Order: sequence, then C-alpha cells, then structure tokens
Amino acid sequence: MATARFRQRSSYINHSILFFMALTIILPLLVLIFNSVKPVEEFGVNPLGFPSEIRFMNYYDAWVNGNYTQIFLNSMTLVVGTLIINLTVSGLAAFSLAALNPRGIQTVVVGLYLLVGISIPAQLYILPLFLMWKSLYLLDTRLGLIIIYSALNAPFATFLIRSYMLQLPTELFEAAKLDGASTMQLFTRVALPLSWPVFLTTALIVSLNVWNEFLFAVTFIITDDYKPISSILFAFQSRFANDYGLVSAASILMAAPIAILFMFFQRRFIAGLTSGATKG
Amino acid sequence: MNKIFNFFLSFVLTAFFATSTFAATKVVWWMESDATTDPVVQEFFVDAFNAEHDDIELEVVFKEDINDTIRPALLSGSGPDIFDTPGASYIKIYQDAGLVKSLQEYADQYGWQDKLLEWAYNSGVFSGELYSIPKNYETMIYFYNKTLFEENGWSLPNNLEEVEALAAKIKAKGMNPYAYGSTGWQPTHEHLVGNYFNTYAGPDNVYKALIGEKKWTDPEFVESIELLRKHMVDDGYWSGGLETYYSLGWDDFNGEFVNRESAMLMIGTWGFNVTATNFAESSDDWDWAALPILHPQAGDKPNYQLATGGTMSVNAASKNPEAAAKVIDWILSDRARVLNVTGQLGYGAWLMPLHYEDSDFDPNIDPRQKRFLTEFAEATGTGNYGYTTWTFYPNDPGVHIWKDMEVVWAGDITPLEFMEESQRLWDKARADDALVPVGKR
Amino acid sequence: MPKFLTNINAISWYFLMPVLFIHFFVIAFPSILSLLLCLTDWNGFGKINYVGLENFEELFRDRIFKKAVYHNFIWTIMFLTIPVIVALIIAYLLTGIKRGQLFYRLVYFFPYILASIVNCLIWRYIFHPKHGLGGWFENQGIDFLSKSPFAMKETALYAVAWVDMWHFWGFLVIIYLTGMYQVDESLYEAADIEGATKFQKFRYITIPMIRPIFILSLIIIIIWSVPTFDYVYILTMGGPAYSSEVVANHLYSQAFQRMNVGYASTIGVMMFFYVGIIVGFFALLRRLGWEV
Repeated sequence: MATARFRQRSSYINHSILFFMALTIILPLLVLIFNSVKPVEEFGVNPLGFPSEIRFMNYYDAWVNGNYTQIFLNSMTLVVGTLIINLTVSGLAAFSLAALNPRGIQTVVVGLYLLVGISIPAQLYILPLFLMWKSLYLLDTRLGLIIIYSALNAPFATFLIRSYMLQLPTELFEAAKLDGASTMQLFTRVALPLSWPVFLTTALIVSLNVWNEFLFAVTFIITDDYKPISSILFAFQSRFANDYGLVSAASILMAAPIAILFMFFQRRFIAGLTSGATKG
Repeated sequence: MNKIFNFFLSFVLTAFFATSTFAATKVVWWMESDATTDPVVQEFFVDAFNAEHDDIELEVVFKEDINDTIRPALLSGSGPDIFDTPGASYIKIYQDAGLVKSLQEYADQYGWQDKLLEWAYNSGVFSGELYSIPKNYETMIYFYNKTLFEENGWSLPNNLEEVEALAAKIKAKGMNPYAYGSTGWQPTHEHLVGNYFNTYAGPDNVYKALIGEKKWTDPEFVESIELLRKHMVDDGYWSGGLETYYSLGWDDFNGEFVNRESAMLMIGTWGFNVTATNFAESSDDWDWAALPILHPQAGDKPNYQLATGGTMSVNAASKNPEAAAKVIDWILSDRARVLNVTGQLGYGAWLMPLHYEDSDFDPNIDPRQKRFLTEFAEATGTGNYGYTTWTFYPNDPGVHIWKDMEVVWAGDITPLEFMEESQRLWDKARADDALVPVGKR
Repeated sequence: MPKFLTNINAISWYFLMPVLFIHFFVIAFPSILSLLLCLTDWNGFGKINYVGLENFEELFRDRIFKKAVYHNFIWTIMFLTIPVIVALIIAYLLTGIKRGQLFYRLVYFFPYILASIVNCLIWRYIFHPKHGLGGWFENQGIDFLSKSPFAMKETALYAVAWVDMWHFWGFLVIIYLTGMYQVDESLYEAADIEGATKFQKFRYITIPMIRPIFILSLIIIIIWSVPTFDYVYILTMGGPAYSSEVVANHLYSQAFQRMNVGYASTIGVMMFFYVGIIVGFFALLRRLGWEV
C-alpha cells in the first residue's frame, strides 16, 4: 500500500515538473503567436498579453509588403533544388557503399568522409568558398547556394541512406542480377523502391536544414529578390523597420510549413535527426 | 554611261551624307538597377533627353549586378559609354588600371566646376583630372520637436555649454534629450563618432588626419571621443542610457521621438521621410537643424558631413566620349529637373550636389526639405563640410571605429587607447595602399 | 580475382564519384585554400603576399581573439552542464509517466525545429526593455529587466547562451529518451523489489546503461560548440564591447567586414585544429579500448 501511494505522489511531482518545463517552451511561443495578430499601437500598452483585438491583417501585410510570395519561392527553390541534387548524389553513393562493395576500401573512405563531414567547421572554408563562387559567378544565385547545401548535407544523407540499404536483403539483388540487370538498374529497380522510407526521412531532414539555414544564406545571397526566408527575417529585425506585429507574423509564416510537416511526420523527423547520434 | 555613273555617284554620296547627318550617335549608360528608381530615371531622364535631342540617342541599361559585370566589360575594351560605380574607392581602382576616361576637357568646356559643389567636383579628381561625378549625397543633421521647444521656451543650442544646459533642462522634464538606437545595425555608432569628430575636432583637422598630415591620436580627436563617452554613458543623452540605446531599433526610437519621450533625434538625412510621416499624425510640429559646433576649433559655422553615394564615369574605350559628356552636362545643367526626379524618389537617390536655389524648386515641396537642400548647397559650397567615417575610412579602421566604440563606452579602454588602435589600423591601411581617395579641401 | 568483382569495384567507385566530387569542390578544396591563405596577408583584391606565420603571431597577440576563445570555452562548459543535466532529469521523468508522452515529446522538441532566427526574434522581444518582460514589469511598477540582458556586457554572453539552450535541450531529451527506452525493464523491476528509490535507480541503472549515447552527446556538444555562430550574430553581433564575441563571429567580422582574408583564414585553421584535436582525442580513447 505504501508503495502505491508513493508511486501516485511521485507521479504527481513528475507531471508538475514536466508540465512546468513544457510551459517554459509554450509560453514564449504563445507570445509570438499573440504578437502576430496584435495591432501595432497595442505593443506599448500590452506587450505580452493576449491581444485586445485580433488583427489578421498583419499576415496579409507581411505577405504582400514583404513580397513573401517571392521569398517563399526562393526558399522552396532552395529546398527542391537541394533535394534533387543531394538525394541523387547521396543515394548513389549510399547504394555503392551498402550493396556494391560493403566491405571494401570504400568503408574506410566513408568513415573518413563522415568524420570530416562533422568536424570541419564551416568557418574554415566559407571565405575561400565565397571568393571561389564570386569568380564563378555563382555568388548571389540560388543555384550556387543549392550546390553548397547539397554538399553540406551530403555526409549525413549518405550515412542515413546507407544504414538503411544495408538492411536490404541481398537475395533480391542476386535475383535481379541473374535476370541480367545492370548495376544502375539494380539501383533504380531494386534499391530505390525499397528504400523510399529512408529517402522520405532524409528529405525531411535536409528540407529542415535548408529551410532554416542561416549562415550561408546570409553570406552568399545579397540581392533582396533572391533572398530566402531566413535572410529576410534577419533583415526585418535590423536597420529600417521593426514592426513587431509584422515580424511576428512573418516568423510564424516561416515556422508554419516546418511545424505542419513536423506534425505529420514527427516520428520520422525525430528518428532521422537522432539516428546520427544514436548510431554514431 | 557617264550620266548614269554620275547619277549613281551623286545618289551614293547624298545617301552617305544624309545618313551620317541623320544617324544619331548612340550613348549607352549602365546604371545600377533598382525597382523604384528605374522607371523614374527612364521617364524623366532618358525619354526626356531623347525627345530633346536628334543627334544623340541615350540608352540606359539597368544592370542587376553592375559591380561584377562592369569590370570585365571595361577590361575587354567593350562595355558602355557611361557607367555607375558605388563610390570613389572603386573609381580609384579603375583609374589606376586606365579604364576610365579623363573628363577634364569636358569639365573645362562645360564649366562643371561651377555647376557642381566644390567638394563634389574635387571628390572625382585624381592626379589633377576629373574622372567621376557623384550621383547622390547624404549628411548628418538633427530633428527636433518644434512644438515641444516652443511650449518650454527652449532655443536651439549653438555651442557645447548650451547643448549641455538644454539636455539638463530636457532631462529635468523627464524626457530624453535624443532618441536613437543601434539594435539590428551595430554600425549606427559610427554616426555618433562622426558627429563628434566633425563638431568638436572640426573638419579641417579631420581632413588633415585623413590625408596623414595629422595623427588620430592628437588631443582634439581623443577629446571628441571622451566627450561622446561622457554624453552617452555618464549623462545618458540617447534614449535614457547606454543599454537602452543598444536595445532600441528603428521603429522604437522613431516612435520615441514622436511620442515626446525624446526632444530631438540625431540622425542622417534619410530620416526626413519617416519623421514627416510620423509627425503627420501628431499634433506636434517638427523641424531640422544643423549639428551645433561644440568647440571653436571646429569653425564658427555649422558644417555638414559628407556621405556620397554612387558616381558616374566615362569608359576609356568609349567611341563617343563627346556625346557622353553632352549627356552628363544636360543632366547637370537643369537643376529643377534633377530636383523633380529626386523628389519623386524621396530625396534618397539622384540627389546631385548642385547649387540649388529657391527658384529651382517645385512650390509643393515641404519648406523644411527645401531649406535643407538650399542651405546645404550654400554651406558646403563655401567650404563648410565635414567627413563621415563610412565614406572616407578604409575597411579595417572603418569597422574598428564603430565596433570598438562599445569598448570605450563599456569603460574597458580609454579614448586614447581607442584612437591609438585606430591610428595603427590607418597606418596599416596606408602601407597597404588601401585608402579611400579624399577630394582636395 | 574474377572479372565480375573487379567490374563491381570500378562501378562502385563511379557511384561514389558525384558525392565525393561535390563535397571536395565545396568543402575540401576551399579548406585547403584556407590552409594556404592563412600564410598570406591578402585582402580580397590586390596582390597576395606570402607572410609566413605572421598571421599566427598576430593572432596570439589579438586581445579580441583570446577573449573569443575564452567565451567559447565558457559556452562549451555551460552546454555540457545545464542542458545535459536538465535533459537527463526530464528524460528520466518522462519514462516514468504513462500518459502525455507524445505531448511532452513534441513540445520539448519543437524549438529544435524552429529556425535560429525565429528563436532569436522571440527572445529578443521577451527581453526588450519597452515591449517585453521589462515593459510588463514596468507597467506593474517593478524595476526588473528594464535593461535587456543582451545589451549589458555582464550578461550578454549568458543571455545568448540561454536562447540557444532553450532551443537545444529538447534534442537532448529525445536522444536520452531513446537510450533510456533501450534499457532492460527487468533491471528496474529487480531494483524495485530491492526497494530502491527513484534517485538510486537513476544513478545505478539508467546512467551506466545509457553511457554510450551519453558520451556521444557530450562529444557532439563539444564539437558543435566550436563553430557556434547564428545566435551570437543575430542577437548581439558579439557585443556589447565584445562581451559575447565567439571565435566564429570574430572570423566572420575579419573576413567579411574588414576584408582581412589571410587573417580570417588563420582563425579558421585554428578552429579546425581545435576540433581535430578533440575528435582525435576521442578516437584515440576508442582505440585504446575505452568504451566510448
């Protein structure tokens, strides 16, 4: 009987602590949401509370005045472009590492490659890369940034897809080979269709990284018309304007697509993001 | 046979002369593209010019990436007749490489030295000849709440004692002397540093330091910094104190000025628009004034610090330099037209440094704006101009002057140490030949 | 060797080429350039002069760089302790409850998927002297947070770290949770029979069993704390008065504002060496048999 009461009380304490910590996250987010529908005049009087009148026009203003269609398109272009190049390149590599010669020297290459991938700080190469891009006329272009993002996400994507493909049954490959399939067909007809879950997960993670990416976006794209959403939000809070209602609405616009994707695919998101850590 | 040949010959000759008389010389101009500016330029400069001239056809190409495309174009011997650059330091590079045409003969021919303000003309002179003409300028001033001043019987300060006395009175009423903030744009600090350099140490001294005749560690500069430190940290002139100044952004400090939380706003001429807009909804009236001189060594009349925008130059490989010069002269000669264009752009672009007079202005212009344009032309025309750090400092010392000002404000280094580091960076830039050209004073 | 295998070998390399090429082009090649540029005094245009190790000498005299390194060190220590401890406790508590698992997991993890700029905007607003908590307190007549922590040199670094921690600890919770769920249930049952307290179970079962994941999380924190840039740059730009300057910031300022290409590359090289030493250290531990 004593143990049962102990467990009950501790469950109560458990929940209190957990809920309190949850509040530390929910409350700031609520402030953001409230602000996004708050009219400008109210900010001085009622900075943190629920708005007295709801002004959805903030969203309209952010969208129209901030030329958000263009900006969203920019970010979408970056995401789609990166996915196309990155998934292709990493998929091919992962297939090679997993199915073509799993125990060869390539695995050593992989080990080195991934090690390098996580340990080289961007600051080592960002400046020479900037100068290279300048002379190649890739500076201030979305294509230039897409190439960079594809390379940045390549080690992680390759690793993730490879660890999935390793589990594909080799008999399927053998059977296809017996039917006279070329290596490329092994990839496109056998590996690819079976690996769609990991490709989906990888796509989600890479999309998240590209959408949220800040350092390279802010450094490599200068013309306003090409800027993705992270650069624009940064510009929003700087020199010439900081209408908090507008900025909050714009932030929500930036966070919303990811949040929605997250709700639908949260298991994959979490699994993808943490698998790097857990499988080491 | 002879007759036919004669007829044919005269036909050819007539046709030849006809076409060469009626063929217009084409002048191509590459400008930096901007969505708001381009249509205005097209209509009021390009189309207007072409309507008036049969012998020259002006074509402006609005380039998105002119900085990257102009250099190879110049190097390959092709490229436009006239082109824009972001500023004097770029022209220096091109002129060194022999890519820009000297405009001296046209300047003499058309009298540009009289049409342009002296400092503007000088800013484009390299090795004794004119190579570029500035397209735009800005300067530092301050705005004040006229109604508030009238209510309290305050008058505009003319020297340091009056500035400090006025600030004390304002603070006694529970308001901040000046509104300003640096959130989101750390380089804002350079505006204040420049203000104190030019109103305390004075433009003559600043000029000498810029060209290396004086050292930045000389007492007048160190004292300027110390004064700025005192006003910011000890006296809290801006928005109530150092930390608040760090935390406020554009809307915050403009709002503060309109809401009577501050009496004045020390800012550049880009503040005209927002101030006019904000005060339109308020019952208070506003006006502007030149920054008061804080020390006699800075002169006896207020000066206006210079910040030039882009410049225009002629390609050394241009086949029609005379026509190009004619286009430039056409723009420089009609001040009213320039004012019309720049007025439509909110005076933020194409504000050419010409000798504006009362008669050039559209009667609908805000009298305060007009007063600024005429007084600026008059004052700087007679030599009362100063130097902003962001136009005349090379990169490294330019970043240091605002980034390390925070360290002075924090009390971690003395103004002398701050200026010693500035001098060190200047010496390094001088040794690397990385200086920005300064027009003769 | 059968021809079949050699063919496969060649083809397997072909499949690897694209990714290796793109990675080399974007990352490896510029990194090598950096290693070369750090020996020059180039400023982005003009002539490139070889100056040997002069940049390194200047770096050792650079007061700001030393300050930045010190701040990075504090940053790492902060991140190795606060979010780790909080995440461990929270993860452990989460394993003890039955309902609301999904809710808590989603909530805690949410800031991690928000962009750094959004997180910064939220907290900059909350700490704003007029509009944030400071303003709210002022309306009640209390003088608290009337100055933004980002604007005071004593607190700037910690305020920035706070925002990043707020964003990050949910990630740790999920990682530790995954590890904790892999712990054998029977161990806990045995402990329950012995009458172990919650804390004892935590200390003697949970911690040792999740050791591999735990150590790995520490390594990740250390490595990721070296190039930390976004939050500092967005919130304070290293100010006020360099009180929140970190090495990545310093490099960015030298590279893109002051155009000291050679010098900036030197900082990059130092960062690389530092990370290399850490990784090498842990690889060595592993090689020596330590269970990492």
